Amino acid sequence: MDKETLIAQLKEIVKPYAKNEEGLLNINENTDFVNDLKINSANLVDVILDVEEQFNIVIDNESMERMLDVRSAMEIIEAKLAAK
Amino acid sequence: MIGNDIIDLHLARRESNWQRKGFLSKIFTAAEQEMICQATIPSDMVWLLWSCKEAAYKIINRITNSRVYNPVKFNCTLSDEQENTITGTVLFEACSYPFISHRNSNYIHTVAVSHDVFLNRIDIYTGDSLPSHLFPTGNSLVKNQDGVPYLMNCGTNSTIPVSISHHGNYVGLAQNNMYSGYSF
Repeated sequence: MDKETLIAQLKEIVKPYAKNEEGLLNINENTDFVNDLKINSANLVDVILDVEEQFNIVIDNESMERMLDVRSAMEIIEAKLAAK
Repeated sequence: MIGNDIIDLHLARRESNWQRKGFLSKIFTAAEQEMICQATIPSDMVWLLWSCKEAAYKIINRITNSRVYNPVKFNCTLSDEQENTITGTVLFEACSYPFISHRNSNYIHTVAVSHDVFLNRIDIYTGDSLPSHLFPTGNSLVKNQDGVPYLMNCGTNSTIPVSISHHGNYVGLAQNNMYSGYSF
C-alpha cells in the first residue's frame, strides 16, 4: 500500500473525532492526532479500534503507547500487515 | 506536582461510546472493568476512572516531558466516597498518586498529586471560564515549549506551575496553595 493511500484511509478514520478542520485538510505524515487534529484523549482509543477493524489487525499495548501521530500509526499498520 | 482533569459529562456522552467492543479493555485494567460493571451508574464510573488516569498522566508528563498513550498502565483504586467527593490512588510504575474527585450531574473534576501531603494544600477551581482574579495585573498564563502551563509574575519573572483542563462547557484549574497566597 502506498503512503498516500494509507494517509487517505487514516484521514477517513480520524475525521469523526478531529476537532480541527484545517488540520484534517492538511493531514500528512507529521500530523499529530492531539496537537494538530485536537482529537481528545478518550477518542484516541476509538481511532485505535477503528484502525484495528479497518485493517483487521490487533494493536498491542506497546504499539498503542506511541500511536499519537500519523507517522507512528502508518509504521504500526505497515508492521502489523507485514506480520500477518 | 499536580495534575487535573475535567470531564463535561454531557459532552462525553456524545463524544464517546464506551460500550463499543474493545473500548474498556484497551484503557482499563481488569479490576477497573469490574468496578465499572458493579457500579450503580457504570458511565459515571467510566469517566471517574478516566479522569483519574488523565490527572495522574499529567503529573508524569510534566516530569518526563514525554508523551505516551498507555492508560491501562494507570491503576485506579477508590478509597472513599462521600456524597459527591471521591478519593483514592492511581498507581503507575510503582509510584502512587493520590487523587480527589468532585462530581455533580454535569461534570467530574479530578485532581491528582505526587504525594499525600499535597492533597490538603491545593486550590481547586471548577467553573465555566478561567477565574479572572487569578490573573491580576502583572500575572499571566504562559506555556513552556511542551505546552505545560505556568502562572508567571511579569514583575519578578517567577513562575508557579498550574494545571489547567478544559472540556466542553467546563474548565478546571489546580495549583499548590503554598505558592499562591490567595485561594480561588
